Amino acid sequence: MNRKTEGSQTSFPVKASMVIMGTGQLLQRQWVKGILYLACFVSYIVYLVVAGAEDMVGFFTLGTVKGNAWLGIEGDDSIMMLLRGLLAFVITVFFIGIHKSNINDVKRCDIKLRQGGTLPTFGKACSIFCDKKFYIIALAVPVTGVLIFNVLPIVFMILIAFTNYGGDIVPPELVDWVGLDNFAKVLALSEIKDTFFKILGWNLIWAFAATLINYFGGLGLALLLNKKCVRGKAFWRAFPILAYAVPGFITLLGFKFMFSYGGPINYYITANGGSAVGFLDIDAGLKAKVIGILVNAWISIPTSMLLATGILSNMNTELYDAASIDGASKWKQFVKITLPFVVFSTTPVLITSFVNNFNNFGIFYFLRGGLYNEGYFLASDTDLLINWLYNLSIDNNYYGIGAAISLIIFVITSAFSLLTYVRSNAYKKEDTYR
Amino acid sequence: MSRCKRLTALFLTAALAVGMTGCGNGAKETSGDEVITLRILENDTAKLEGYLDELLNAFNEAYRDKGIQAVDANMDEYSDLAANGPYGYGPDVIYQANDKLMTYAEDHHILPLDIEKLDCYAYTPEEAWEAFKINIDGEVYCCGIPVNIQEPMLFYREDMMPEDWQTQWDENQNGVADFFENWNDLYAYSKILRDTDTSANRDSQYGFMSSFNNLYLNGEFLFSYGAYVFGKNEDGTLNSADIGMSKGEAATGLLGLRQMAALMNEGCIDDTITLNRYEKLADGSYFCAVSTPDTYSLFISKLALKYEESGISAEDAEAKARENLRMTELPSRMPADGDLSKDSAKMSEQDWVETVVMGGVNGYGISSYTEHRDACIEFVNFATSYEMIQKRMDMLGIAPTRSDVAESSGGVTDMIFNSLAAGRIYLMPSIKAVDQIWVPAQTLLGDIAKDPFREAKGETPKYASKQDIEKAIQKVDQDIYNAIYTLK
Repeated sequence: MNRKTEGSQTSFPVKASMVIMGTGQLLQRQWVKGILYLACFVSYIVYLVVAGAEDMVGFFTLGTVKGNAWLGIEGDDSIMMLLRGLLAFVITVFFIGIHKSNINDVKRCDIKLRQGGTLPTFGKACSIFCDKKFYIIALAVPVTGVLIFNVLPIVFMILIAFTNYGGDIVPPELVDWVGLDNFAKVLALSEIKDTFFKILGWNLIWAFAATLINYFGGLGLALLLNKKCVRGKAFWRAFPILAYAVPGFITLLGFKFMFSYGGPINYYITANGGSAVGFLDIDAGLKAKVIGILVNAWISIPTSMLLATGILSNMNTELYDAASIDGASKWKQFVKITLPFVVFSTTPVLITSFVNNFNNFGIFYFLRGGLYNEGYFLASDTDLLINWLYNLSIDNNYYGIGAAISLIIFVITSAFSLLTYVRSNAYKKEDTYR
Repeated sequence: MSRCKRLTALFLTAALAVGMTGCGNGAKETSGDEVITLRILENDTAKLEGYLDELLNAFNEAYRDKGIQAVDANMDEYSDLAANGPYGYGPDVIYQANDKLMTYAEDHHILPLDIEKLDCYAYTPEEAWEAFKINIDGEVYCCGIPVNIQEPMLFYREDMMPEDWQTQWDENQNGVADFFENWNDLYAYSKILRDTDTSANRDSQYGFMSSFNNLYLNGEFLFSYGAYVFGKNEDGTLNSADIGMSKGEAATGLLGLRQMAALMNEGCIDDTITLNRYEKLADGSYFCAVSTPDTYSLFISKLALKYEESGISAEDAEAKARENLRMTELPSRMPADGDLSKDSAKMSEQDWVETVVMGGVNGYGISSYTEHRDACIEFVNFATSYEMIQKRMDMLGIAPTRSDVAESSGGVTDMIFNSLAAGRIYLMPSIKAVDQIWVPAQTLLGDIAKDPFREAKGETPKYASKQDIEKAIQKVDQDIYNAIYTLK
């Protein structure tokens, strides 16, 4: 009897398990397994009756009763309803998965029984499962963790982008689904649209410039400190690490003070007869952008340097000896040997660095927060998309719009990361340096 | 092996039980003898200076027999009641500025109160109560109990007053220097100080100093000239669509700000003066600086530190600092045409406008989520009693809203109280939309303050004429409107 013929003859235990989980197993005298499946089934039904069904309906309505603490009306909390509805769907999907495994299990056992075999005890079945599908057991906890702590908040944020949550619509007010309205506002409303594209342009320049400067700055420093002629390498390496060890926001506040009108840089300029310079004020524009890039380099180059130092220590020095004999100049050796090797090893890091720089919130928030420039909607000319997102969503409570912008940022950065990675040698020629 | 499993199971069960007892709502907990515990959220200064401990101890002592005790809520002073309260984590009683409290009131997060039953009701002026009133569907509710008034003040050192001020700078011979009575004389004296600064970089002698990018501290350049934040509807409620920063003669006032900035350094463009005013006033570089009454203790400690450096004991240094440091209101008259450089002696009564500063009223609110409403009312009644407000004033240097305390202490406290009653303090509007005014306004104020320095460098000024300023301030109105309404 082939598998197809076996499957087409649905036995009573299989039918029973399809209707009520675990009953098929009980009919097959697999008591523990049957009870466990049945317990899952009963738990889910109880959950549906007690909260699940209501939560699913609430997901679509987002509440119907507005709360009033003065009158003691608790009301519906739209955001909690959204979250609970989402959770109800996740639980349902999980239940469907278990139900499917229940049907598969009862079918497998049915075939075995028809073939005259005996079914293993629960303990034995567990032992076989642990042995053959160990990867499931090993990955179950981390995958659950990722689902709860990473995927669920991301899905929640994506859903918020389709609501009118924010502004005056915060609990106890009821939130509603608004479809693509928030995206339409970002891309169509003249003030927002102009600001969005201006900031996006600067954000891309910033991300490329910051990534390249940090990367090559770190590599250059690592190469310099790798030179045989440099004495006391450990001592010199300690300095960038000191800059790296100080918390980023403290460094940024320190730089803000240094470049302020009352800071030491302006002090020395005026003390030498010059007039104070507004490095970070409203007119600063390009000056503030350059300062931002340099300050970011100060914070990030030590990381790149450490990374490059580690990679360079794995270089085969014979390659350089051979190249020298062939008459290759130092520059040629760098371009043809060092750079490909380092870039190959660090492409994923380079992509991560680009994404981090693209979403670098701290630099301009600490250096130049609290300014709105002419021609910008609730933003300054140095704000990155992430800063604008903060202005809109936290400072001005437009959570829905903020979520829509963060989705757009997500699409841009993930598209760039994927494209760069799949086109890189690190992906295409994975075995080259092995 | 099975024993080991049993022990592990027992341990896990015990751990779960212990963990579960840790869960639950602290607010709902009462001890076996049914003592009601109130969580009080005060500001950081009150905690730091020990006033909160005094208040809690006094209250707990007085209400020991009634089964009520108050404790520090132990939360950040700006923790969000709207986010925490509905889930049982907020304080029972909260102390905040009127704009913040009334933002909560708009969404019913704090309770309306029957204020006439409170002891402080009769002693608190109507203007202070107004700051905590909200109109919902035609009904007016009061959601806060005023405690103290905040307004920008001038801080100066008595020993830095010009020696001849009584003969040269007190034309009306009322015992108050002219430069503390009108802005033109403050400008004139500041100019003298700048012109006679002979230090190498001309940076050791300044007159009036303020970070002009701060709307709260420099609102007089707008509100004295007829500007307002939000207009009012026919029923008296605030209309956030009617933004009036550019209304009246606001541009004229800002011409004065531009003029005054020329007598400062570039520190007036950003937060520099706000950060260094304590130090610079103590070392004599600044003659006077603008700040709020709650920073009094910071000025004192910096000044005392300077005296200590000269070799006297810490106690004597503080006593000397307290004796020397003075706090007064901003000059009460501003030039109607915004020209601070005019000779005040040649100006008649109609050439002046009354100074109107921006201010606020801090007070107590009761969380709508408290389970002990009556006990909370008992607490705020106690905390706003004559004795406690007097103690708060003595320890924190606040200006109380209680008339009896203000009168008994006299001086500056009484002066601030009278200013509130006379409408010389423009109270921060008590609606949510007020959050959107700060960044657009402070961006413009800082930009105008930069203008004289652009000119000095030979760059083209941005605000050379009143029309330029008018255009810019109208854009601020538009920016605020956009921030409130574009994404609604």
